Amino acid sequence: MSLMKGFTGFRLSWLAAGFAILFLVAPFIVVVGASFDTGEAYFVAFPPRGITFEWYSSIPSKYIEAAWTSFIVAVGVAIFSSVVGMCAALGIVRGNVWGKELFQSFFRLPIQIPLVVTGAVFLQFYYQVAAITGVNALGNLWGLVIAHLFVAIPYSVGSVSAVLARVDPSIEEAAHSLGATHWSTFWRVTFPLMRPGVAAGMFYSFIVSFGDVPIAIFLVSGDNMTLPVQIFLDMQFDFRPDMLAVSTLVVVVSAFIIIGAQRFAGLDLVLPGRR
Amino acid sequence: MSMANRAEQKQRAGWPGKVRNAHAVDPHRVRWERFLWPAAALSFALLVLPQLGFVWLSFHQDLGLGQISDELTLANYWTVLTDPLYLGSIWLTIYLSVATVVVVMLVGFPTAYALARMPARLSTGILGLLLTTSLITVVIKLMGLNIILGSSGMVNNLLLYLGIVSSPLQFINNELGVLIGLVQYTLPLFIMLLFSVIQTIPLSLEEAAEVHGATRASLWRRIILPLAKPGLVAGALITFNMSMGAFTSAVLLGGGRVRTIPVLIQQTIIQSTEYGLGAALSTTLLVLVFLINVAVGIWASRRVRRTP
Repeated sequence: MSLMKGFTGFRLSWLAAGFAILFLVAPFIVVVGASFDTGEAYFVAFPPRGITFEWYSSIPSKYIEAAWTSFIVAVGVAIFSSVVGMCAALGIVRGNVWGKELFQSFFRLPIQIPLVVTGAVFLQFYYQVAAITGVNALGNLWGLVIAHLFVAIPYSVGSVSAVLARVDPSIEEAAHSLGATHWSTFWRVTFPLMRPGVAAGMFYSFIVSFGDVPIAIFLVSGDNMTLPVQIFLDMQFDFRPDMLAVSTLVVVVSAFIIIGAQRFAGLDLVLPGRR
Repeated sequence: MSMANRAEQKQRAGWPGKVRNAHAVDPHRVRWERFLWPAAALSFALLVLPQLGFVWLSFHQDLGLGQISDELTLANYWTVLTDPLYLGSIWLTIYLSVATVVVVMLVGFPTAYALARMPARLSTGILGLLLTTSLITVVIKLMGLNIILGSSGMVNNLLLYLGIVSSPLQFINNELGVLIGLVQYTLPLFIMLLFSVIQTIPLSLEEAAEVHGATRASLWRRIILPLAKPGLVAGALITFNMSMGAFTSAVLLGGGRVRTIPVLIQQTIIQSTEYGLGAALSTTLLVLVFLINVAVGIWASRRVRRTP
């Protein structure tokens, strides 16, 4: 009898799992499927009534330009945040500092701030900086890179210090006592050992920047539109099936990158931040 | 972080104190803390300078066209805390976030449990899939949800076909739509977090209880839930915080009709260029979320202390 009950309890949790997975995956299936639909514009159907690549050939150039902008910004954010993350992690984990936990939670602070607030805060900050110094960060991509960097740094610091904490410092001491300079000890021993953390930090920083709407919506202009904001605006005001084609391309490319990062680069993608 | 701490403690325990001290004064030691200061200074500057200017702005009245008054005033906060529009928005945001937490716990906890108890090969694959969906930009998920839940979408077609309803139900462009969007946004992270918690509960504990005659219900109530409780509280808080700040889902599935605080912040600043009021709204949201977190933290630690 208790076995039967155990079975139903287990089945209920399986049912919930099935529902959750379906619910989380269905939007992607629908977007990809509907992008091949032969219907008329301004109306979307899934399952598709017929297969066509029409929408892929008519992707407006604004999406291509926006995708390029998003990519440049995300790469910049990934590079800068990994450098900051490495410095912070080395200092916290290896350094002789007081209050390591305090530093850890200090570096995690930006994640606690709602992204919309961060966007509004940086918009105002750039206005004030422009009023005082005449430097306008809103006309170029730097404004976006700096604001995204702010929310990406916690992910880099988290990933790198988690990996670095598992590296035994006696390996470095061995290298050093066997005659390696500090410089070559770092590049030939420490850095290779902490590289998975650096790569994971770069990856998360890229993802955070590339997919962002709530910060970028405050900071973009017609000249430097990012892809998610362009899709966000068009979804509200001007829906066309070619957006489904663009989104499908984004899904496919993202999925390849994410699965590649897990499978081949062996990234241990436990979410480091967001806590 | 607990991993890092544990590693550090182990290391500390392994090193005799004398050696550690010698280590600290070793003249050949690299002074890694030097690397921390520039990183900390940059993060501090990015955190404090913009925030200070922003909070300062919230104490000035808007004069229209993006201009603000010179004198300090609490008028913006008075407006936010007395005007029914803003009070209603605060209430709506909290209400939707709490509803999201409830749904995410009801669906996410059993899912995490099932994942933790299935063969590792299968759960790894599913977690990889969930991670992938959580990392792709939320705009695309919302586009998919819009198609699925629309008046001629799959869900309505299915309901009509089965004869459950006679006319399409309104799933989007209302609060229900925003709730569905928030669940979509927060569920993967909750499942992944709870998975790692439930995994630490040994299956043998459940078997032992079952052998001693525990029913499935009492097993959940007396073993699984109490052991997973710290994880549940943490997961619920993260879900709540993410929902309180959610902007994209609220706009795209609320159809502009569901005006939560994040939506109002963006409208106030971008559309009506009332920077002072927008700053006051943002600061209120920040303080509100902070206070709720502190309250839940105190409540959770008290409950832990009271139970023997």
